[in-house]
Amino acid sequence: MVQAVQRDNPPVQSRLARRAPYITIRVTGVLLAVLALGHFALTHVVNDVAATSSSFIARRWGSATWVVWDGLLLAAALLHAGAGLLAVVRDYRTRPRDRRRWLAGLAALIFTIFVIGMVVLVYSALGASR
Amino acid sequence: MTAAQAVFLTAFAVVTAVIVAAVWVIVRSARRMDGGAYPSLAGLRRLGRRPADRGEMNRWAFYAHRVSGLAILAFLCLHVLDVSVYAFSPKVFDQVHHLYATVPMRLFECGLLLALLFHALNGLRVVAIDLWDLGAAAASRLLTGVLGVTVVVTIAGSVVILHPVIG
Repeated sequence: MVQAVQRDNPPVQSRLARRAPYITIRVTGVLLAVLALGHFALTHVVNDVAATSSSFIARRWGSATWVVWDGLLLAAALLHAGAGLLAVVRDYRTRPRDRRRWLAGLAALIFTIFVIGMVVLVYSALGASR
Repeated sequence: MTAAQAVFLTAFAVVTAVIVAAVWVIVRSARRMDGGAYPSLAGLRRLGRRPADRGEMNRWAFYAHRVSGLAILAFLCLHVLDVSVYAFSPKVFDQVHHLYATVPMRLFECGLLLALLFHALNGLRVVAIDLWDLGAAAASRLLTGVLGVTVVVTIAGSVVILHPVIG
């Protein structure tokens, strides 16, 4: 039993390292309750989804407010997801090697999505302002 | 159907498969996670026995929170990729975007609204439980509120989302 517990727990971490995912999830979560629900309301309720075409995006990313909104939304969502996935992987993958592989793979996925999203947002916003 | 639309639908099928796999892992692990039974019909019937089994509701909310979170992330990955098409060609983006206005995708969007609302409201409930050190009874009442608001707003939102294709 003691052995099982020792095997399941990662090496001792600093207090901040232990608390970081907990705090990240809650701070970004409260932010996302506004940003994500606001985004959905704007693109599916205020405007019909059929109207959110390329001209809609061009208009929207012409405004700095929405560029910042979308950038914050992407960053907060991916931070939130990363911290959440950490807990999920720790629950379902008990062997340290499995855990490392899953976390490395998911971190790579999240980083890739973040880079693609930010590059597209900045590139398109610069294009719209020209 | 254009090539871009076919790619989108293939990616959408992958997203659906990831969501189904996440549900499978979470439901299968339910017994190991916290020593209870798998979510089952018997468990569903136990939910009717309130307030003695209030803890059961919290457990189900926990599973639903995980499932909705993973589902939203899976869709977010697809969504970032489909919007990124806009940077290459607004024309091809519009081809892909046309799919979002079809009936099956609108139904999916209603499901997405359900997942977003439940995840957001239940998440705020968890924050409230931690911040104000709420007990089991208060947490249970809050969960009832979360479910009520989720259902009502999802129905209202779904009417708006589906209105152009029904009416």
